[in-house]
This record gives sequence, C-alpha cells and structure tokens, in this order.
Amino acid sequence: MPKLRLREAGPALLFMVVLLTLTACGDTVYPNTTFTQFTDLNTTILSLWDRLLFWGTIVFVVVEAALIITIIRYRKRPGGPAAKQIHGNALLEITWTAIPAIILVLIAVPTVKAIFETQAPAPAGALRVEVIGHQWWWEFRYPELGIVTANELYVPVGRTVSFEMTSKDVIHSFWFPAMGGKRDLMANRTNYMWYTPNADLGTQAWNGFCTEYCGESHANMRIRLYTVQPDEFESWAKHQASPAVFNPLAAAAVLAASNTALTRAVDSTAQPSAGYVFPAERLPAHVVPQTPIPAGLDYDDALLAQGDPTRGATQSFMLGGCIGCHAINGIPGAVSAIGPDLTHVASRHTIASGLFKFDGPTLARWIKNARHMKPGSIMNTIGRGEYDPIMKMTVTAGLDDRQIADVVAYLMSLK
Amino acid sequence: MATIAAPTQAGKPDAYSNTTGIWSWIATTDHKRIGTLYLWTALFFFLVGGLEAVIIRTQLMRPNMGFVSADTYNQLFTMHGTTMVFLAIMPLSAAFFNFLIPLQIGARDVAFPRLNAFSYWVYLLGGIFLTVPILFHVAPNGGWFGYAPLTSNQFSPGNNIDFWVIGLQVLGVSSLAAAFNFITTIINMRAPGMTLMRMPMFTWMSFVVQFLLILAFPPITVALVFLIMDRFFGTTFYAIAAGADPLLWQHLFWVFGHPEVYILILPAFGLVSEILPTFSKKPLFGYNVMVYSGIMIGFLGFGVWAHHMFAVGMGAVADTIFSMMTMLIAIPTGVKIFNWIATMWAGEIRFTVAMKFAIALIGMFTIGGISGVMHSSPPADLQQTDTYFIVAHFHYVLFGGSIMGILGGIYFYFPKMTGRFMDERLGNWHFWGTFVGMNLTFFPMHFSGLYGMPRRVYRYDAGQGWDLFNLMSTYGTYLIAVSTLFFVWNFVRSRTRGAVAGSDPWGAGTLEWSIPSPPPEYNFAQLPEVSSRYPLWDLKDPAKTAGIDHSHADAMTITDAHAVPVHEETERFTAKELGIPMPLPTAKPLFTAVGLMTMFSGLPFLRNDMFAVAMTLTIGGACMLIGGLYAWLTSPLE
Amino acid sequence: MASHAAAALHSASGADAGHQNGHEHHHYTTTGLDNRKIAIWAFLGSECMLFASLISTYLIYKGKSIVGPYPTTEWVNEAGKVFKPILDIPTTSASTAVLLMSSFAMVLALQAVQLKGKEIAATASWWERIQRSSQFWLAATAFLGATFLGFQAYEFTSFVHEGLTLKTNLFGSTFFTLTGFHGAHVTVGVLWLMSLLWIDRTRGLGPKDELVVDICALYWHFVDVVWIVIFTLVYLIS
Repeated sequence: MPKLRLREAGPALLFMVVLLTLTACGDTVYPNTTFTQFTDLNTTILSLWDRLLFWGTIVFVVVEAALIITIIRYRKRPGGPAAKQIHGNALLEITWTAIPAIILVLIAVPTVKAIFETQAPAPAGALRVEVIGHQWWWEFRYPELGIVTANELYVPVGRTVSFEMTSKDVIHSFWFPAMGGKRDLMANRTNYMWYTPNADLGTQAWNGFCTEYCGESHANMRIRLYTVQPDEFESWAKHQASPAVFNPLAAAAVLAASNTALTRAVDSTAQPSAGYVFPAERLPAHVVPQTPIPAGLDYDDALLAQGDPTRGATQSFMLGGCIGCHAINGIPGAVSAIGPDLTHVASRHTIASGLFKFDGPTLARWIKNARHMKPGSIMNTIGRGEYDPIMKMTVTAGLDDRQIADVVAYLMSLK
Repeated sequence: MATIAAPTQAGKPDAYSNTTGIWSWIATTDHKRIGTLYLWTALFFFLVGGLEAVIIRTQLMRPNMGFVSADTYNQLFTMHGTTMVFLAIMPLSAAFFNFLIPLQIGARDVAFPRLNAFSYWVYLLGGIFLTVPILFHVAPNGGWFGYAPLTSNQFSPGNNIDFWVIGLQVLGVSSLAAAFNFITTIINMRAPGMTLMRMPMFTWMSFVVQFLLILAFPPITVALVFLIMDRFFGTTFYAIAAGADPLLWQHLFWVFGHPEVYILILPAFGLVSEILPTFSKKPLFGYNVMVYSGIMIGFLGFGVWAHHMFAVGMGAVADTIFSMMTMLIAIPTGVKIFNWIATMWAGEIRFTVAMKFAIALIGMFTIGGISGVMHSSPPADLQQTDTYFIVAHFHYVLFGGSIMGILGGIYFYFPKMTGRFMDERLGNWHFWGTFVGMNLTFFPMHFSGLYGMPRRVYRYDAGQGWDLFNLMSTYGTYLIAVSTLFFVWNFVRSRTRGAVAGSDPWGAGTLEWSIPSPPPEYNFAQLPEVSSRYPLWDLKDPAKTAGIDHSHADAMTITDAHAVPVHEETERFTAKELGIPMPLPTAKPLFTAVGLMTMFSGLPFLRNDMFAVAMTLTIGGACMLIGGLYAWLTSPLE
Repeated sequence: MASHAAAALHSASGADAGHQNGHEHHHYTTTGLDNRKIAIWAFLGSECMLFASLISTYLIYKGKSIVGPYPTTEWVNEAGKVFKPILDIPTTSASTAVLLMSSFAMVLALQAVQLKGKEIAATASWWERIQRSSQFWLAATAFLGATFLGFQAYEFTSFVHEGLTLKTNLFGSTFFTLTGFHGAHVTVGVLWLMSLLWIDRTRGLGPKDELVVDICALYWHFVDVVWIVIFTLVYLIS
C-alpha cells in the first residue's frame, strides 16, 4: 500500500529538513535562531539540545519505523496468515520500559549539571543590569554606572552581564534568542540570569522579545541588544550617565537675555561629540523595525523643518504634559518613571519598544496619537483633535501639529 | 447459523426511547441521549474553535498583516484555547464516557442519571456564556491560562475576563458532577463478573480521568474563586500593590493544568485501545501493563505541574525535581506506544477510517511526546518555552493525540450510536486531509519556534526567518478546515443515509457490541454475566481470548451460558414490556442548571454599576437553584 | 449465531432477579454498597483538595502582608499606635470545642437512627432513653453547629471592627476566604441536619434510613476534621 508509506514519509521528510537546516542554517536566513554558541549560557543549552535531538531522533525513527513496518507487514490480505493471538510478553515489555529509562538517565545527568551550572550566582565582576518590565516597554538600569535607559541594551563583549529582573505590572519575559534562555519578570520578585557574550562576537545588533503574554500589545514589546567592544561601551556609558545634552532652562535664560525672536538655541550638529552610539549603517535589515504606520494618522511632515527645540523644551513639552510620565536627567521636575527615560532618547534607533524607527515623521505621529500606533499604549493621545481609542473621545486640549514639531525637534536634540 | 457480523436490528434513531421530539431531549435522563447531546454540542464548539484558529492563522499568514486588530487577535487565541480544551475535547470525551461506560461495564444507566443530565446542561449553558461574548467583541483576552495579575481588575478592567472566570467556574461544576457520577458508576455498576481487570481499556482510562478530575478541579476552583473575589469584592489575592505573589495563580492553575493534559489525552488513549485490537483481530497487548501505565501517568501527572514554569525562577532544586518527574512520566507513556504497536504486530490489520485515525495517533503523539521530553530539560526549555516550539508540541499532543483518537472513536462508535455506518470514502478524504493538514500546520511551528518566534504575537516583522513557516502553517490550517467539512457532511448525512450496521459491525470483543445498534433504552434486557475481557470473542472465537485471565470456573460459566435456552430477539421490547424500571424523564436538572448559570451571570453586572440587575439575577438564580434541587431530590427517580 | 451470542450475554443473573420480583429500589451494585455512599467518598476526596488549596494559599501568604492587622504578631498603624495580634485564641478554642462536641452528637444521632424500633427496657436510665432519641441528637448537632457559626460571626464582626476586612491585606483576604469557605460548609451541614430533623419529625427516620443519616454524618465529620486542621495551622502555629 504505497499510501501508507507516503503518510509516514511526510513527517519523516520534514524531520530530515530539521537536520539539514540545523547544520546549514545561516544567520542571515534565521537571524533569531536559538542554535548559537554566542554566549556561555547558550553553549551549554545547545549541547543539551544536541543530546535531546540525538535521542529524540533515534526514538522517532525507531517508533515510526516499527509502526510503519507493522502496518505494512500485517495488513489484512486475501489468503494472508490469520492473526496470532498474543496477549503480552513480559520480557518485551520490561525491555521497552528499561530502554527509555536508560535514555532518560543519559539526558537527565547533563540536565541536572546544566541546571546548577547556569543557575549559580554570577561570577564576580559581572556587569549588573536591572531589567524592569512595563506594559509594553523595557526599562534598563545599570546601577553601577548610573544609567537609566529603555528598550535598547548595550553590553560589552567578553564580560559577564548579570540581569536582575522584575516587573512594575504584569508578568513579562526577557529573551534574546541568540544569547540564551528566557526569564520571567514578575512584580514583588526578582529573577536572575547571567551570560557572557563571546569576546570575539564583534559589534552586532540582536533582536529580543517579550515572551510572556502581557496584554494587548504583547506582540509590540520588543527589545534590541547591541553587543559592542569594551571601549565603545565605555564611551556609550559615560555619555548616557551624563545629564541631557540640551538644557531648556539654560536655553530659556539665553532667550530671555537676548530678548530676540526665537532662535535655535541649540544646533544639534554643533554639539560636542556625544558618546558612542551603535552605528545605524551597521544595523542589519532584520533589526530595523518594519511596523507599518496605521492609516488615518495624518501629519504634514513639512512642519517638522519648522520645529524649534527651544520652544519645544520650554513650552510644548510642558504643555503636552510629557513630564508627567517621562524623566529627563537634568530637567528639574522631569523625574517620573511611568514612561521611558528620555535623557538620551535621540541616541536610540527605535521608539515604542522596538516597534518603529526613530525618525522625525514617526516620532511626530507617535506623539500625536500613540494609542493608534501601538494598541493599548499607556501613553495618552496628545494631538489636538485626535480620537483617543482608549478614552473613546476626541482630544480637545493637547498639542497642535506645530507644537508637536517643536517637541520632535527637542527630542531629536537629546543625543 | 447467522454470520457474526450480520445485523440483528435495523437502525432506528429513536429506538431507545418511546418518545420523540424536543421534549424527549430536554427531559432525558438516558445516558445515551445525554452522550449524544454532548457529542453534538462539543462538535459545534469544535467547529467554533476551529473557525477561531482559521482567523488566527489568516492573521499570521504574512508579516505585519492587518486582518484583525491586536485585541481581536488576543480574544481569538484566548477563546481558541479555552474552547478547544473546555468546550470541545473534554466534552467530546464526556460524550464517550456517557455513551460507552455503562455499555462497556454492562450497566443500564449511570449511577445518577439526573445528575448526568445536570452536568450536560451546565456545560451547555457555561459554554454559551463563555462563547457568546466574542460576537460582541468582549470575549476573554487573558490567554487560556489567564495568568494573574494580568487578569486582575487593574490590568483587565473590562467584562472580558469576567466571562472567562465565571464560565470556567461553572464548567468546573459540570465536570466535577460528572466525575462523581462516573466514579460511582464504574465502581458500583459493573455487571456480575466484570472485575476491574476485565474492564475495557476505554473504561479504565476514563476511570483514571475521573479521579484526575475530582482531584485537579478543586485547585483551579480555588484559583478562580480568588480571582472572582479580587475582581468583584476587592480582595488582594493577586494585587501586586498588596504584596501578592504572581506565582500563586501559576501554581494553583498548573496543579490543575497538568493533570488536565492527561484528562484530555487519556480518553483518546482508551478509544485507540478499543480500535486497535478490533481491527487487528487481536486482544490488546499487555493489558495489565496498559492499565498500570495509565494509572501511573495519572499519578505522576500531579507531580509535574511546575514544568510549565521553568522560566519563573523557582531555583535549581525545584527545577531539578520537576524535571526528573517529567522525564519519569515519559516512561509509562512510551510503554503505551510500544504496546499499541505490539497489539497490531502479527495481526490482520483492516484499514478502516477509524483504524487510520488510531494509527495516526500513535505516530503523531510520538512526535509530541519526543518534543515533550525536549522541554523536560529546564535549561533547554528556557529556549523553547513560550515560543512556537511549544505550540507545535502541544498541538501534536492534543491534535495528533486527543483529536485523532476522538475522531477515530467517532468513526468507530457511530454505528453503535446510530445503527448506521459513516461513509468510508468521505472518511478517507477527511482522514488524509486532516493528517496532511495537521503536519503542514504544526510541524513548521517547531522551526519558527526554535528560530525565535514567540507565541501569542499578533504580528511580526518580515525577514525574521519565520515567513515561510507561517505561510505553511496557514495553508495547513485551511486544509484541516476543508477536510473537516467532509467530516461534518459525512456525520450529518450518515445518521439517516448511512449503510445499516448490525449490533457488532466491526467484529469487536467488548460488551457494548453485544446489544443492538442503537441500543435500547435499557441497554441490556438482562444484565450480562462477564467472564473475560472480551466476552464477545469468548463466544464467537474462543481462541482469541484463550490466554487471557479467566479462571477455569469462569470458562465454565461461558459453557453454561451457551447451555441456557436462548430466545431469539426478533423484535425490540420496550423497558416497560420487559418490566425494567428506567429513570423518569425530567426537566428538573435543566431547571437547576439554569438557576446555577443565572446566579453566576449576575456578577458581571456589579462591574457596570447595575447593582439591582446583579442582585435580581443572583438571588433569582439562587432561588431557582435551590427550588430545582429541592424538587429534584424529593421526586422519585423512576 | 450472533443473536445466540448476544442472548448468552443476556443470561439471567441472580442479582438481577430483583427486578422481576418488583423490588425496584434494590438495584444490583458491584460492591453491595449504595451508590450514594461511593459518591460521597469521592466528593469528600475532592473537598480535601479544595481545602488543601485554600490552606496552602493561606500558608504561602503568611507573613507577606504589607500592612496590619496581623494574625499572631503585634502591628503598628500609620499613627504609630501599637495593636495586639488580632487572633483571639481562647474564644476560638471554645468554638472548636463546640464543633468537636457536635461530631459526638452526630455519632449518637446515627446510633439512635440505627436503634430505632428496638425495644428498650422499662428500667432504662434517662441517658439510655435519650440515646434513643434521634431527633434530640440531630437537633443537638445542628444546634452546636449553629453555635459554632455564631462564634464565627462574632469573630468576623470583631475583626472588622478592629480594621481587618477582606480588602485590608493578604491576611484578611486569605483568612476570611478560608474560614468563610469552612463556615459555608458548616452552614450547608446545619441546613442538611435540619432537613433530616424535619423528615424525622414528619415521617420518622428508622434503620432503613441509616444510609441517609450516615452520608450526612460523613460530611459533618469531614467538616469537623477540616476545622481541626485550620485551627491548628491558622491559630495555634504562629
């Protein structure tokens, strides 16, 4: 009966594909693959996986082969032999109880070893990073370096990084597939995980995801990881720990003193060179967000050219109520931790937890109606006349498009 | 001398009752009718859950699709899981419990026929309560395991979760009531000579499942009570601001949730253990070991719940213990697989549609079992949990296992239930479509998961290495959907147009095949006396069962039975004519169930500041419940 | 042959003969026990898991409350005032004793039902006579159960007065839910006993009704045992 062979051949063929892809997979085809040896943690996991796959394949082949052979060989045929009335066989049954048991022992021993190895305390000298989950974004704190940032994580290669994870609200889970396993982020609890990106990993960008369903925008809670060289990390860290580059109070004082028309108090290009930032041109395509901007969110991009950072900082930023949620180091009163820290927001490549590219037009739309761009977002709809899909009402206060352009200009200056 | 498979009775759909019409169904206390009601209702919900899956897969077909919104998607996957687990697979198993257990053990009905009706009506009403909200876009959206604190008021302020928590609580009542009933039935209603170790394997697996139900449902009941109290009465069980531990829900849920997995799979194992011997013309290989492994699986099933929680940070010791327990459970499961293959070995295998589904279960469940062992290793699981690899795993177990077994069971028992065969040609289309479709749907998910795709995402970017796998999964789902249409057509049509089947159309060996199809309302005109595991084969083909446990005295009984003068059954008598007391039809269980549902359905109104409505429903419902119970308990059964 | 086979399976068994004799209420059972007896055991097994879950939750949350009142330790409110631990162990010990006594009364109620109809010597003492009164013992059990509920109502009210409600803290939520669930079970038991008492008064309970009383007694003893566990874990062990 050829049909039967075909039936069992389907999954068997697919299984062959697993083996092939495992050996042949390139990073470019499967950029988020878990089959890597980029960290000590994932090297351990991969060696366990190899063992699981090895035994799994053997069991699979033995069982499916036994099944196929049986049903082909003993199919009812005219003139075929009558069924033999066998009721059991103690020896056989003991055998097929014992063999799986032995295989499981072969899996269990390295498993237990790996459990205790990977869950041991992080080695001394590890870089501490506090990971705090929010609906739906990531807060990162480097307590030893005085850095607070969001959604994009910088880690030096060759040094162990130790994550201390908790949540401000529901349960989230922190995962970079290429780096190692995941851990849940839970309120009233702290979880730990550490790994060491290989010293030869190079300056690269990686995707990460929230992997515990955490509400409406669970799918929109993404992370980026930049593994960078130690000197690059040092430069980045030094700058990130410093107060905001553009200080609106100083700018306002200049304005008041000069008593002139509004001028550009700050030209971002004229700023003293900021710290290291992962170069945009080295971002591979799969790390660049592709989320489409939803239809019906109109903004005249031409207005952006007229945006004034000083006006944005001194007036619109306040009018929009931004400091109700966002902290900016160096601005008195802007200390809230409800939303991401914006001190060096312009040094990031993405906004809205890795959902969109960081650029003027996207930022303007985001400020105008964040809830339209990211369902359920806690960030209010700011644009005047916009419909807020959560409050189910049209915003009557808020900022007009020109004011938004000012805020965008201000934020773009926060390198 | 008639041949063994000759029909003894033409199919008459209503042959087991004197009455027809809607009232005969509303007031029925006949376990076979209740089983039929379960079957139809559960199949309906199976189609609903399947439709939800089709929409889900359409949304995921390509990167960043906008077929449905984030919230709709979340409602869909929550309802797909909840529907398939609580409203489709469990009740499909319940349909078989109802229809088969009394027939297999030689009883005239279940121990508590009215409680049985009550279980069904509660299930139906709970299912409607849980499902209807999706039509109004307010369906539950917290995932099928509804992790607190996400499901607490603070993070889910709408009515969505209310429907979920109340619906599950009500369904729990149904499952518990049914479980008490079947435990009592199996312990106490077996025909003379039907010792525990002679019970058909389906009854055995069902027996284990009933114990899992009564022991596993209380923890989730408590978890749901806490959530109800939190949501409506302001307690702090899951309130993080009050210092609550987010793991409380997870532990309570999975103490239920893992045995639940065996609640879903063991009945299918039981059905397959009936189908394989029949179509191999051989008794089940290693019956005793099959029984013990089933008990072992049920027992160990209570010690492995935290393997769903390897990412929560329980510590190395707890991870180790739960990992070892999980690996251990693979052993009795593997034994079952090998024993099934050995059952077919040296047999005469007939490839009916039922048999194909049963064989497919062995092949497909094995894949789910292997990936199960892969995530029993906690460090490896940290790369697998909450990705599509897990989705692939549990679909191989639940679709490749439970659904395959249940579909095989439907093809196998349809002649017994209706007196007619399902069409084998349409059945073949159904089988091959489903088989290829499920592999096309779920096998690629292994890859998308291991290549980094998290589960429960409603959109993803292109170029992540997942595009092809998702496209394959979606086409596979469409293939399953199309082949399911063949099944629906076959099922509906064969009831009245299928070929007439006799009492024992497949040449099977257990008691249910000794009575006409469909069985008369009283099942057995006289209670049978059982002397072996395959009493029918004893009579028709003693060679088949010669090696199985029966004492010499038992063998004598068979001989004696042959010696008893036999009156040929030429026409079917009613229970009344035979003087067999049957439970009276009554709508009191339905009335009581409506009371229970009404009582609970008051709660959501509390949230919407409709206090008067809430109180009216709750108090009114409670009065109905108490009044119904009173009338029920004070009226005679038969 | 087929019908022959089927009919052989239908061969009369002695146990089935009851139907032909018209004793409709004596169905054949495998174990010889009444179905209800088996069902109540299954039910109580399930109840064990219910209370195990509730008690575990109480224990998991023990000492995790952020604000007072606390059960067995002193606590300070925002104003800095120091309060005693809220649990009143002497009073609850008394109510526990009452509930234990009710189990004793239940045993005697069952015995009285079993002995109903047997002759009693004219010289019997008042104690021997009262032992024969199922109504007395059913009423006593129900009364003691109700007294326990009274104690619980008193305890709940005084806790609320001292500032502990369902919403106050984790202790309040877990304590009221656990003891409330138990109290609800006692309430059901009291209603059950009162129904039995009513049946006893209207048509009289006799040895033939032993099973009905026995099932109620099983439930009642179970509820008592659960209370012993709760009392030990919640009140005595701090």
